[in-house]
Amino acid sequence: MEIMNNYTGTILIADLARGACDTEELSQELVEQALGGAAINMALYEKYKDKDPLIIGTGFFTATFFPCSNLAVLTGKSPITGKIGHAPLTWQAGVELKLAGFDFVVLCGASDRPVRLWLHDGLSDINDSQDIWGADVWESVDKIREVYGDDMIQMLVIGPAGENRVSIAQVSENYWGSKDSFGFGAAFGAKKLKAIAMRGLGSLEVAEGFFQKCMELKNEILNGAIKGKAGLKDFIEPLGLDVAIKEKVQSATHRLNACYNCPYPCYTFFKYREAPTALAQTGVADPGCLTAGLAGLARFYALGIDAPQAMEICFKAGLQPAAAAQILEKKGIKDLAAAEAALRECAADSTLKADAASPWPCPVSLPPEAGIFSSAVPPQPVFAPASAFGQGDAGLVWVKRQALAYIIGMCPIFALLAPEVTNDRVVELVRMSAEWDDFNKETLDTIIEKLIKQSMS
Amino acid sequence: MDLKVEPLKCTGCRICEFACNFHYDGSISPIGSSIMFYREEKKNYYGLMVKREKSLLLGRPEGERILKPGEQIEGATASSKPILLRVACDRCTEEEEGPLCIRACPYGVLSME
Repeated sequence: MEIMNNYTGTILIADLARGACDTEELSQELVEQALGGAAINMALYEKYKDKDPLIIGTGFFTATFFPCSNLAVLTGKSPITGKIGHAPLTWQAGVELKLAGFDFVVLCGASDRPVRLWLHDGLSDINDSQDIWGADVWESVDKIREVYGDDMIQMLVIGPAGENRVSIAQVSENYWGSKDSFGFGAAFGAKKLKAIAMRGLGSLEVAEGFFQKCMELKNEILNGAIKGKAGLKDFIEPLGLDVAIKEKVQSATHRLNACYNCPYPCYTFFKYREAPTALAQTGVADPGCLTAGLAGLARFYALGIDAPQAMEICFKAGLQPAAAAQILEKKGIKDLAAAEAALRECAADSTLKADAASPWPCPVSLPPEAGIFSSAVPPQPVFAPASAFGQGDAGLVWVKRQALAYIIGMCPIFALLAPEVTNDRVVELVRMSAEWDDFNKETLDTIIEKLIKQSMS
Repeated sequence: MDLKVEPLKCTGCRICEFACNFHYDGSISPIGSSIMFYREEKKNYYGLMVKREKSLLLGRPEGERILKPGEQIEGATASSKPILLRVACDRCTEEEEGPLCIRACPYGVLSME
């Protein structure tokens, strides 16, 4: 069994109280027991339980040729629920973290002054962050890239909402918010951790035949359930959302984007400070925003306001958009100016309570176990029925599918789009990638069941 | 025959960079690639640059541009490894199933013409 085709072999322990970092070896035994992602995060959470830990981990396949292998997972005690939550981090964070030389990062304790963690070339620095404490997310991203001198630095950053420990504060992936529905922005704020900046120029080995097998799977996916579909617009009808928003989304869309190695481009860039058709490099510096947050968009459109612009206000403040829209709905907000004022108030309100209802404005039927995974992910498979993903109760099929995605490092939205990524295919590729002949379906099922049970306890 | 880019089909998934690096080095990394992804993130302005033997292809959203050796790229910012230091595309002539970037791209951005 060989882990060098999947991991760099390093766990970072960042002691924020001491202001210093140590590293541990990622052992073969731990990978054999828990494979990766949220499952290894839980093992590390248990080990460092008395240090108020937040764990950021990469999946077994993150940053490999496995389709859609871009996921990192943020695991910790949620400021909203008080229980374990796993937030999926997509866009570029997972790849950048692993190639920066760190498979897992354990954030222990709290700093007594604002800091940021800078991970690059296998090095880890805890740097002072007073310069951007109080700055909004967009200003913070720009400043960090300027200070470290690289526009390709990827980061997880909090805005004023997180600093103010607002319950619905998010950890943001660069400028664009995230699928954090657990209020981990407030958890970062409590640790006075403004950002984690990452730049990965490292490399991983590749097992014989792995590239070929991944290309075959990718081609099956392209000819399968997602064929002929793209963007968030094609999620609207299948999820039972208001079909009137499809035209609004399409008319404001500039281009569709995909996360690392993803065959489905759900990230939609909306332009509103210049025409969506504008392509020139010399256009407006900040023409709009990028999001895969369909629940937030749907909720803001339902208020009768321009949803992408409302999303941007949330991203800058570091607020979870769907949760913020639910609060605005209760306040009877109906125009963008009032929404902006209300969102600024939310970002300063540490007494704010999150709405208990699902962020999705459509019927949602999921079991209690679903609460350990992000509610920003569609609450059901999108293009194929639940039966295409597994047998039995559809809600439990959803939970197990999410668990699989969070362990192997595949985006949990993509996991609900592509039934072609079966557990059997995953087992085949795990065996090939890690030269792990003993790995089988039973082992995978056991790791999935244990993740769910451990996260609920 | 040279590698050709249709920039508006690109979604920025970057698998082409990693496939190209894999062709040369057998590892996963973006820095050895003949293809360099370029993005101004706040504008969502992005495209691919290809280091060819005798020219540099800029696959920009507003239209392709070919630079000869010595020509400047205005507005260029930091990158992982400057394109001029990279290996020129060898067209994957020794790969049985053709160029790895074309095989890897889910969106049909790349072709050989």
